[in-house]
Amino acid sequence: MASNPVMELEIWKGEWGLPSVDVHCLEVMTYAKFSGTPLKTKITNNPFKTPHGSLPVFQHENECLTKFGEISAYLRKNNHTADFELSPKQCAEAFAYSHLIYEKLVPALQFIWWIDSKNFIEFTRPLYAKLLPFPLNFYYPGQYEKHAKQLAMSLYPEEDDLSVIETAVYRQADECLCLLATKLGEKEFFFGQSPSSLDAVVFAHLAPLLKAPLPSAALQNHLKACTNLTRFVGRVLQRYFPKEIKDHEQAERKITKQESEYSDSEFPNKLRNISIAALISLVAMTAYAMSTGIIQVVPADEGEEED
Amino acid sequence: MPSVLLTDSISFELGALEPWPSDVKLYQPYEVEHILLQDQANSLAVQVFLRMCGLEFQVEMRSNAEHMSPSGKLPFIKCGAFVVADLDPIVSFIANKGINLTDHLDAAQKADMRAYMSLANNILGNAELYISWCDENVLNEVTCPRYGSVYSWPLNTLLTWRKQKQVTKKLTALGWITKTLDEVYEDVDHCCNALSERLGNHLYFFNDRCTELDAVVFGHVFTLLTTPLPDNRLASIVRSYPNLVEACQFLEKAFFQKPTANTTDGDSDNFN
Repeated sequence: MASNPVMELEIWKGEWGLPSVDVHCLEVMTYAKFSGTPLKTKITNNPFKTPHGSLPVFQHENECLTKFGEISAYLRKNNHTADFELSPKQCAEAFAYSHLIYEKLVPALQFIWWIDSKNFIEFTRPLYAKLLPFPLNFYYPGQYEKHAKQLAMSLYPEEDDLSVIETAVYRQADECLCLLATKLGEKEFFFGQSPSSLDAVVFAHLAPLLKAPLPSAALQNHLKACTNLTRFVGRVLQRYFPKEIKDHEQAERKITKQESEYSDSEFPNKLRNISIAALISLVAMTAYAMSTGIIQVVPADEGEEED
Repeated sequence: MPSVLLTDSISFELGALEPWPSDVKLYQPYEVEHILLQDQANSLAVQVFLRMCGLEFQVEMRSNAEHMSPSGKLPFIKCGAFVVADLDPIVSFIANKGINLTDHLDAAQKADMRAYMSLANNILGNAELYISWCDENVLNEVTCPRYGSVYSWPLNTLLTWRKQKQVTKKLTALGWITKTLDEVYEDVDHCCNALSERLGNHLYFFNDRCTELDAVVFGHVFTLLTTPLPDNRLASIVRSYPNLVEACQFLEKAFFQKPTANTTDGDSDNFN
């Protein structure tokens, strides 16, 4: 592998004002922003050539890493850390809370994204079909769905009914969101005024849940009810990803403008089209009437008599 | 048949009306020749939690405890008409009877406690599973003989193979299967470091009073220190955090004073 002097990260594309739709990509990107790492992101939407079949992939010099833990440890070794202001006890708390999220929230996110049938059919599969190139869009969504189901089954081995697992998983996720809201309180970030690795992890897991237009949105509504967490996500987006918000707003404005233009453009032509249609129908009806003899044009001299 | 997870909530409401019976039994696999790392850690955690709450119970050892458990998790307690498995449901069940150890904690401390419990269960619990079932040495020398010891041939081979498949599937889903043994040891070290930082030079994690977190950490630390494995790296990692060892010894003296055959391995001074 060629040595790459610049830190590069291959990611999934972003939607809904987020820099990426994928939790793991968001973790790395947010941590890089918090720690001031000069990270170059490359939107590939293609997990085919990656070491483990998933994104993100971090490359620097001869290193090729895929997990957030490995990448943050590597960045820390290269003097890029977001936790320099934390005491050892706070570092321990950050580590513990990250694992709280991995244990209680991640199964629910997997469920919402891949197992809930309404969300999968109306939201997730079309999203990944749009992002992935042909023919990978037939393979990867099925694979991710299979992994999610395996996670749910292995956590609850004695349960066969997915709806029961769903209840248990959502209950744990609700509890986790309440604990995070309690921990954050009214502070700007979890450990004071400046963000840490825990803020990166929390943001990465909450932002897609908050911003995605999910058809089946029970957990999303619970998150929206935790107003301090919602404000936290908005704050991180505004301060560290302002470009993505601006791009998203511009794109939304363009779409609404196009829709209204399309409906406006009919109006000048509408009248013209109606009058032309009326004229044509009048001419056609007159010609028919004359041809069948309903209307007779009697010339000055005697014309033919009709039967 | 109603599911275990849903009937938990119903049973807790019904169970709240009854006082703690005198004939509560805790079921686990055989201590000396059958039980494995993670089950022992969980069982000790539940036992010390019940003792912390001052609740009486008896330990019953069964070869098929795992299959008797309603959710497949060990240990489980039989309390009157209710059967509750795993520490978290047991804690909720007992809390519904008005007994809990976290009254002295404020909301932020409760959140911290739950986070550290997740940490301990996630890392130490999964590390114990990994080492028992994915490390060839330990699998062949310790796990297979122990797990199959209560069955005759060929059942012992088949059931051990089936359990290994199940555990491997779980670790794959959680992303642990791709880790090397060194990475697992590193994670255990990191986890013990975090717990040690939180504990500081106290004997309990919060306000000098015992909580579920103390029970969970005791279960894992005691198991890792006293279980002989082919490679003793786990024990030496834990031993390098003297405050965790001291807290564990303190809890053992406080709650397991009478060395009976039923509770610990009887090796109360086996912290060498």
